[in-house]
Amino acid sequence: MTAPILFDYKEVVGPDIIEELTILASHVGNRSIKMVNSTAVGGGVAEMLRRVVPLLNDLGVKATWDVIKGEEEFFEITKSFHNALQGKEEYFHEDVFKTYLKYNEMNNREMEFDEDLIVIHDPQPAALIHWNQNRKNRWVWRCHIDLSHPNQQLWEFLKPYVEQYDAAIFSSALFSPELAIPQYRFYPAIDPLDDKNRELDASYVDGVFEKYGIPRDKPIVTQVSRYDPWKDPVGVVQAFKMARKYVDCRLLLVGDKAADDPETDKVLAKVKAEAGDDPDIHLLLFSPSIATEINAFQRGSDIVLQKSLREGFALTVSEALWKSRPVIGGAVGGIPAQIIDEYTGLLVHSPEGASLAIRSLLTQPDLANKVGKNGHQRVKDEFLITKNLKRYLLLLLALDRPQEETIFLH
Amino acid sequence: MADVFQFLSSASLVKLTGRKAHNLEEMLDLIKTCSDSSIFYHTFCAFLQMREVQVPYNNDFALWASRSLNEQALAEKLMAVDLSEYNTIKRLKIHLIEIIERYREQKPDAFKKIANEPFYLYDMIRIVYRTDKFAYGLKSFCEALPTVSMYSIYYHFIESRLRTRLQDNDFSIWIEKSLNMPELAHLIRKIDINLYTLEGLRSRIIQLIDQYLSETSRASQTHSGGQV
Repeated sequence: MTAPILFDYKEVVGPDIIEELTILASHVGNRSIKMVNSTAVGGGVAEMLRRVVPLLNDLGVKATWDVIKGEEEFFEITKSFHNALQGKEEYFHEDVFKTYLKYNEMNNREMEFDEDLIVIHDPQPAALIHWNQNRKNRWVWRCHIDLSHPNQQLWEFLKPYVEQYDAAIFSSALFSPELAIPQYRFYPAIDPLDDKNRELDASYVDGVFEKYGIPRDKPIVTQVSRYDPWKDPVGVVQAFKMARKYVDCRLLLVGDKAADDPETDKVLAKVKAEAGDDPDIHLLLFSPSIATEINAFQRGSDIVLQKSLREGFALTVSEALWKSRPVIGGAVGGIPAQIIDEYTGLLVHSPEGASLAIRSLLTQPDLANKVGKNGHQRVKDEFLITKNLKRYLLLLLALDRPQEETIFLH
Repeated sequence: MADVFQFLSSASLVKLTGRKAHNLEEMLDLIKTCSDSSIFYHTFCAFLQMREVQVPYNNDFALWASRSLNEQALAEKLMAVDLSEYNTIKRLKIHLIEIIERYREQKPDAFKKIANEPFYLYDMIRIVYRTDKFAYGLKSFCEALPTVSMYSIYYHFIESRLRTRLQDNDFSIWIEKSLNMPELAHLIRKIDINLYTLEGLRSRIIQLIDQYLSETSRASQTHSGGQV
């Protein structure tokens, strides 16, 4: 399938939204923006840039995307940075910081930063700014990870670099640290036209359930998530078993397994033990999954769960809400931003709460329809890629006038 | 000839402030000391978002008081604040402070409670811009209204009074002043925005115009001699 162009989004978000984007883009004019990250493939950031950069170009903004280079030693360091910034205890030797800076300096020598706005994604290239002190353009650091409880030693090293930027962008107030520079909130976003989210024929959805031997003779409750303790698949099985005393239904757990992840097997064993030989519990493990099949599982489910105990932003919630599914989510991380309890889904804090929520939604179709419909609207308003395009356009306009609270464009 | 009505629209870039409140005392302090644009974000912008998903609260302060603090009486008082009555943020801010301070006198224990979730204070930059949609009279207004974005409808119906400093929506002002149709302007002014999503509001305005036109057409037929 060829990548969608801006015009293709008219049908899903409405022509008025696309028209307003083009008006804002006309005010942005002939400006340019460069995105910089550390990988061209794999991971949410690369996936997002792959879509956002061409769409910004469709809007007339000259957008480019550069990927920094490095040897294995650099990426091992940045992987450990990633974990430590999200709170993992670790001590870093001074040499580690020197190596990190060496690769940033090397990349800086090979790159050019002539665009009006430079957006540096995540910690890997964050120090590039250090060699651009006399810049005339604007630099913004877009942090996609949770920095609310960073490893202090590492944060003390990185923070002085971050504070050289003109601004920083975080996905949520929950994830942002104290900084001496302005901070903006950009929610993460899903693409309604990619395979994971686009409309599917009912016959395809039926075929996927058939392929994996999941009868649709009773309501289906599904959680799509890695078999990871923080996603609480064991709690999901417990919730399902409690709910099924009152309402007949099936449980479907769908998860991916990374090639070198021994943790998955351990968690899966616990889930299997909890499930026993219950014929109404279906466990699927993919390596890797097919996006359209995940889409089909979500669309074909009566309820989608994301009963996490700890989360990043959990865009799987937005994926299910976009499909107008009633969603039950753990009240952690970015889930409450997507689910306004009782209006765009149900928030829960325990297996017991999840069980009650399953029973409520399966016995009250009006409630299920209402939260599904509202949830779709919530995603349309805040969590679609088109909204992120708008945020980048607004950022380009606002960075020109940092002192103004209200900007009138004439 | 009627003045041309150009539809405007607005959008916001949300800023993180790093400030939060864990209890009502801290909330009161936040409201007293935050920028006008923060108040705007948590009231006018929040209202726009909540209307679209039919959440019955009209500002983040009420939502937090209800959901995180379980102070339903305070939430109801904050919810009763009708944003369409405010044409300055300063007045709105004073009113919010009065409500919370009065509540402290009535229920001092509520101020000892710690919220389940803190209230995160946001700020914003507002960007107002012209669209390429115009109305030259009632007919072209009716033709344009279904094509403008909900943000444009929201801007003219609620938000613009902060710019015009008038206690009225732009549509009613234009229909009354430029089209000389005060009765229709009044009907639109009386719409209770708290009961509609913005799509619902759009439909309601169109419905009122249709009704008005058919009634005036009937009246003029009766006046000119009735059925032929």
